[in-house]
Amino acid sequence: MRRLLTALIALAVQFAPPLHAAAPGVTENRIRIATIQDLSGPIAMLGAPIRDGIVMRLDEENERGGVHGRRLAIAVEDSGYDPKKAILATRRLLGSGEVFAFLGNLGTPVVMATMPLIVDAGLPHLFPFSPHQATYAPTHPLKYQLFAPYRDYMDAAVRYMLQEKGYRRVGLLYQDDDYGLEVMRGVEAGLASQGLELVERTGYKRGATDYASQIARLRAAGCDLVVLATVVRETVAAMREARKVGWAVDMLVTASGYSAQTHELGGEAVEGLYGVSVMPHPYADAAEGDLYDWIQRYRTRYDADPNVWSAMGYDVADTFIQGLRAAGRDLDAASFSAALGQLKTTPGFLGGPTYQFSPDDHLGNRRGRMARIVSGRWQLVSDYLD
Amino acid sequence: MLAQVLLSGIATGCVYGLVALSFVLVFKATETVSFMQGELLMLGAFAAVLLVEGGGWPVWLALPAAVLVLFAIGALLEGGVLRRALGQPHLTAVLLTFGLGLMLRGGVTMVPAATHQMHRLELPLAGVLSLGPLQLAGEHLAVVLATALACASLAAFFRFTRAGVALRACSEDARVAALMGISPTRMHTLAWALGAALAGFAGVLLAPVTLVHPGMGLIALKAFPAAVIGGLSSLPGALAGGVLVGVFEALTGLYLPDGAKDLAVYGLMLAVLLLFPRGLGGRGAAA
Repeated sequence: MRRLLTALIALAVQFAPPLHAAAPGVTENRIRIATIQDLSGPIAMLGAPIRDGIVMRLDEENERGGVHGRRLAIAVEDSGYDPKKAILATRRLLGSGEVFAFLGNLGTPVVMATMPLIVDAGLPHLFPFSPHQATYAPTHPLKYQLFAPYRDYMDAAVRYMLQEKGYRRVGLLYQDDDYGLEVMRGVEAGLASQGLELVERTGYKRGATDYASQIARLRAAGCDLVVLATVVRETVAAMREARKVGWAVDMLVTASGYSAQTHELGGEAVEGLYGVSVMPHPYADAAEGDLYDWIQRYRTRYDADPNVWSAMGYDVADTFIQGLRAAGRDLDAASFSAALGQLKTTPGFLGGPTYQFSPDDHLGNRRGRMARIVSGRWQLVSDYLD
Repeated sequence: MLAQVLLSGIATGCVYGLVALSFVLVFKATETVSFMQGELLMLGAFAAVLLVEGGGWPVWLALPAAVLVLFAIGALLEGGVLRRALGQPHLTAVLLTFGLGLMLRGGVTMVPAATHQMHRLELPLAGVLSLGPLQLAGEHLAVVLATALACASLAAFFRFTRAGVALRACSEDARVAALMGISPTRMHTLAWALGAALAGFAGVLLAPVTLVHPGMGLIALKAFPAAVIGGLSSLPGALAGGVLVGVFEALTGLYLPDGAKDLAVYGLMLAVLLLFPRGLGGRGAAA
């Protein structure tokens, strides 16, 4: 009986919380966070460079001694863009009790499935790669976002095209899902500000192979600007179809089509395409100074050229680190959230926007800028649009 | 504009037709509907990309090689897995193809180079040919010509070669064919291998048009109605069904309200099944 009692007391001592309870994942000399990426599914071409960018920024901070003397560690989980897998991974990470926050989770279905678990467990859910409003509104102390919904960017972009370039007859080719509808609302809002409406809209299902009838419809409607709510492959296909039939109409693609792959795969056909850019693509041969050094470091480290997703991953991690610095040495979810709610970042050499939060607005940026493919590469043609 | 859209529809229809042919080929010889034809198509395109980008092969050599690779894969899958379903209820084989398809797609997405970027297969025929007001894309012409060529050689194979005649005999009546000295298992292998090769061929033809990516196989969702419309057991019917679906889809996309295009194919399939229960190419009830 006595021995049992001793054993019980020993157990209780072992598992009792320490006197000053630290936040999960935070120890004297380490902060551990987690991210859920798609490294094997349909958007792995985004997930892999995002992961690389995040990990690179954290490691660089560690080489300088970490934040307030704490090194940064990250657990990367692969969801394959599957919400079920993402939930399992999230539960595992939450169960370990060794995660301070989730950073840059990728994919709207994944984020919608896992965000409630993370927030209910009292952990910050930071800067997910999902342009869904629920990631920052209604304001919640644990939810912060850097990327605005497509609607906001497209509204501003369409207004810019109408005002600066004088387009009047705007048509839309959209992917027939949430993404396409979200873009449609933004385009309609932009047009409505000038008293205009879409002259034609035509959709396609994911995985469509032929856009001849859609392009023919848009052409028959006499559009002078076609907005593309497409991703890379469909952007290339739609422009190739238009150019093939000899229709030299101008087109504008969302931030989803702003990728170096668009001009690498599209070549001549996508010349002149307008796009919305949130973060400029880091072209290696045009880079100078800090950006050049960064590209060289990335290349040495990963044996690949960085792209716009690597830059976004790096930026997400950088903003997180700026938040940690502001929160100070005495770190838990509440102190971190309070510090982030006052944060205004200084943009770095990557050319991203300034992110600014306030206690009642947790979306860091709403503005994109216009870019255009000239001589086979994206060039910025405007400042950040209001 | 109508002619332009029609041409595009025919070219797309030819790819549907080729995949539909592979459905029918397998169905006729094995009475199994194969749900992995789309994945085999994707695999064919990736095999060609691998040979061109990874192996540095010239395109004209890589394309037939990719089709041969798929022939071999088809034979391997049959020998390793599908043969075990012989004599079991039909559903076993159908579910097996479904599972194999998932595994094939999963296998491809595990290769980082396949998922981290899209690939493009340049055919030497790229370019635009102007015919009066019509603009013909080189890739589309290539698709139509290659489909015609594939059908001609398939017809010749079934008519003039021993293996082709044996395969036909087997699908007519496997027991009598066996009595005549034809090995049904060997014919079973041949049918699956040919089905895989045809799907791979369609993939190679589709590659320059849509770019190569793991989701390419979705096109089988359109090819299956084409095969059903063609009667599921008629090779010319499958091809005709494919072209019909392609053209019908293009026309509804042009003239009907937005969104009708994606329903139209299945509406057409229902209508055909209602009016011609055995499909357009199927034999009458009396036969």
